Amino acid sequence: MAEGLIVRSLRDGSLPGEHAPALCLEDSLPSPLASHSHAVFRHLLASLLSTGTGTAVVLVAFHRSPSFYLSLLSPTFRNSIRLLDCYSDPLAWKSNHHPPPSSHSPQNITLLTNLNHLPHFLSSILHLAKDLGAQGHDRVTVAIDSVTHMLRHAPLPSVLQLLTNLRCHEKISSLFWLIHTDLHEPKVISSFEYISTMIASLQPIVQLPDYANANISASITSLEENYSNAKFNVRLKRRNGRVKLLCEELLIEQGSVKFSSVPSVSSVVAQNLIPKVQFNIQLSDKERMDRANVVLPFEHQGNGQNIEIYDGRRSLSESQKDPSSIKIGGLSEQKRGNNNKSEKGEIHYIRDSDDEQPDSDEDPDDDLDI
Amino acid sequence: MATGGGQQERPTRPSSFSRVSSSSFSPASSSSTSTSLPPGVRIGANGAAFVSSGIPDLDRILGGGFLVGSVVMVMEDADAPHHLLLLRNFMSQGIVHGQSVLFAGPTKEPRSFLGTLPSPVVQKEGLKIKHDVSDVQDKEKGLRIAWQYKKYFGEQTAVDSHNRDKKQEFSSDFDLRKPLERQLLNSQNVECISTQDAFDLSKLQNHCLTFVSKLSMKDGINSNAGRIAIQSLCAPQCGYFEKDWDMLSFIRSLRATVQSSNAVAVITFPASVLSNSISKRWQHLADTLLSIRAIPDKDLAKLLTGYQDMLGFLHVHKVAQFNSQVPVILDASTYSLKLQKRKSLVLERLNQAPVEGSSGVSYATSGSCSSSKGSLLDF
Repeated sequence: MAEGLIVRSLRDGSLPGEHAPALCLEDSLPSPLASHSHAVFRHLLASLLSTGTGTAVVLVAFHRSPSFYLSLLSPTFRNSIRLLDCYSDPLAWKSNHHPPPSSHSPQNITLLTNLNHLPHFLSSILHLAKDLGAQGHDRVTVAIDSVTHMLRHAPLPSVLQLLTNLRCHEKISSLFWLIHTDLHEPKVISSFEYISTMIASLQPIVQLPDYANANISASITSLEENYSNAKFNVRLKRRNGRVKLLCEELLIEQGSVKFSSVPSVSSVVAQNLIPKVQFNIQLSDKERMDRANVVLPFEHQGNGQNIEIYDGRRSLSESQKDPSSIKIGGLSEQKRGNNNKSEKGEIHYIRDSDDEQPDSDEDPDDDLDI
Repeated sequence: MATGGGQQERPTRPSSFSRVSSSSFSPASSSSTSTSLPPGVRIGANGAAFVSSGIPDLDRILGGGFLVGSVVMVMEDADAPHHLLLLRNFMSQGIVHGQSVLFAGPTKEPRSFLGTLPSPVVQKEGLKIKHDVSDVQDKEKGLRIAWQYKKYFGEQTAVDSHNRDKKQEFSSDFDLRKPLERQLLNSQNVECISTQDAFDLSKLQNHCLTFVSKLSMKDGINSNAGRIAIQSLCAPQCGYFEKDWDMLSFIRSLRATVQSSNAVAVITFPASVLSNSISKRWQHLADTLLSIRAIPDKDLAKLLTGYQDMLGFLHVHKVAQFNSQVPVILDASTYSLKLQKRKSLVLERLNQAPVEGSSGVSYATSGSCSSSKGSLLDF
């Protein structure tokens, strides 16, 4: 599912007004499959190309020769890929001595020798993208074989500027790159994560202990497991600001990559995220209205009904027949008429005057004027 | 805490708004002094001058707003763009009050960010008056029992409505769906600078200096307050990214400039792209320090109420204090950012979801059951 999400997001590209989605594929040495992270890269490339005629790829090849990539693809897709060859002659050694004949390189490979000058680099990529666009591919994805190689030739801020400029450009619909986390400082890795919208990392299934202290036999079995499987962690930054974390297992068999979901659901709760959480003691508006509707016993004077003063000795039904039960006439005028309903002996309370404040007769503190 | 150390550096603040003596204010005297202050500035506790941050909840949490002459830093989260919400409200509030605004961003066209600024919610006059009257009636109902003392309450309601009026002027609610009017944005007071292609910070520093000197050039009592908003100061794509010490000295000089003027500076920075020691130095340079955290999808739904509406968490690390050695101790330092009715930003305390009766397990243990790593939730 994680892999499907990534491919779909890369294929769909960006919404208008947004920057293109960018995937940062990370690997590290503890997972021996890391050397096969390139297989994941190729797998993504293949799945993007195989979806139809819409998507085209500009591949910037640093790590392997362009012919290697071309040999991977079936001839039908060779037209939808353009390669920027940064592998053959990155330091311009060959071209300085023997300028290459013009008909040497096949049609879809462009040799680039001046890797220090990043604006030229950017313009070559855009030129290839325009080429593909002219051929009828409306979505162009840029894949960079390894940003680690790029960082050898140019400083970090300029590489990041290049990537952000690619993301902003209207011809590019999505972007993904590979980076080896062991070869860089954590600052560099976090900068690449900062500008990307999806981060996929390959981690070992079994964390290997320190080699110096390890028990050899135990580590061999775990090594074997690491050779075939890896954990594929994906962190997606969504548009609403939430982060989606996914974890899957990766299997490499016969050169093809298979993804399977992890059976145990272990949600990684960000630690120390909630320092102090209390129960909500505020009232919502509805609760406040309900509370206002409740009539408290001391706010009324019986409203014409019997006041049951339950003293705990008798049951309620008995006290109803009690002749000494108090019946007090209501304060408002319409309740005066109810006074004569009951037959038993009762106390009638008739107000002296109408315009006195309610409760003023009973309140002894009324005379106080503070 | 770090706030104690910060106080010793500056016992008096020579900004023109603050009052050194702070006697207890009676309502009558505060109304007379407010006429001499420019719009958007108010005097708070200990005679310190505040400007609103644009979010009324945040003003309340910080004890009045952003202190004039202070530097506010917001630590961004690499995964979520919520720091932009804070910046937008801050800048809109300044423009609405007619204050000068300087904005610096790491994009080629920082002017385009101005197009996303929200406009204030306009409350109709009739509604406002009705709201006041019904409030008084509610109060009367609640106090029905204590009718003998009603004659003493007449004064209180008058003072309350007066305070509410003043509060509306100081900080407004912003509607995030409506953009701010164009003519307000095109005034001379709003400047934008791009930091992406700069190889060092000297240009930005000069801009800030001229901006601040323009503020005090007005002479006289009604010099306006100014707002400096810098987005993602240490963004990795900026040319000066590797120069750690240059960035730190820029912040130090900005702090000194702003301290003796009527400006407030808000700087957002992604702390994750800096090395640990440098990030700590940045955090220590702030007068008020806030941080934004993104929330993982669906993970914490069992632990918090209202989880679906939350955008992210806002954590208050440090609150600036002036003229006082007493540190600010907040009830809660983490708040959730929510959009009320999809338009205005509110900050709410985090509330725990109701404990299920059947489980009968205390929350600390049930929290650790849900995560295999045994995360620490301290209560």
